[in-house]
Amino acid sequence: MNQRIIYPTDDGGVAVIVPAECGLTIEEIAAKDVPAGKPFKIVDVSDIPTDRTFRNAWEYA
Amino acid sequence: MSKVALSGNASGTGTFTIASPNSNTDRTLTLPDATGTVQVSGNPISGTTASFSGDVTLGSSVLATPSGSAPSYLCRAWVNFNGTGTVAIRASGNVSSITDNGTGDYTVNFTAAMSDANYSFAANGSTPGVTNLYTISPLSASPTTSAFRFGTAASSNGVLTDASQASVTIFR
Repeated sequence: MNQRIIYPTDDGGVAVIVPAECGLTIEEIAAKDVPAGKPFKIVDVSDIPTDRTFRNAWEYA
Repeated sequence: MSKVALSGNASGTGTFTIASPNSNTDRTLTLPDATGTVQVSGNPISGTTASFSGDVTLGSSVLATPSGSAPSYLCRAWVNFNGTGTVAIRASGNVSSITDNGTGDYTVNFTAAMSDANYSFAANGSTPGVTNLYTISPLSASPTTSAFRFGTAASSNGVLTDASQASVTIFR
């Protein structure tokens, strides 16, 4: 999949979910793997930075 | 000479037919020298333990007959992924996704949950030729039936570090 799911973490950062080819849609994966009560967004993989030097400083916006 | 007997059932009304396939080759169907019920397609074997003395083919995979008496168990979930750059799954089984929680911090999410959280896990992470890494597992949270979180850290200072070759296998 060329999409990712992002949601804010409890410490102010952002988690990025990478879907597997498992037969589920990305919406179904989001419903299952995003922690309950967390807002989330489905974004294109190209929207995720590839430079992870400051990965822990990423924020959910 | 042993004999073959065909017997009906006094309680039933249906007619059972033994039909030949469309073939020009003579065939012999040999019954096992045992008492039991012959299972057919669409009527899976249940309630018994099937025993095979040779290799078993499942689809394109062959399960070799193990030696010894210890039972063998199959992997319940596995994943191989790149945890650097554009984090991506290379291949997986019974994994719906991985979560990139931060540098060297990953969660493996199972498609079908485990029966409990007492499973055995093996997690590994490395970046060949760049950094010596060791694996911290579980990381910051106990394993659950639906997910397993682990980290990869630099052996020199213990700081979480991304791994280009990351993999997890789950047995239960």
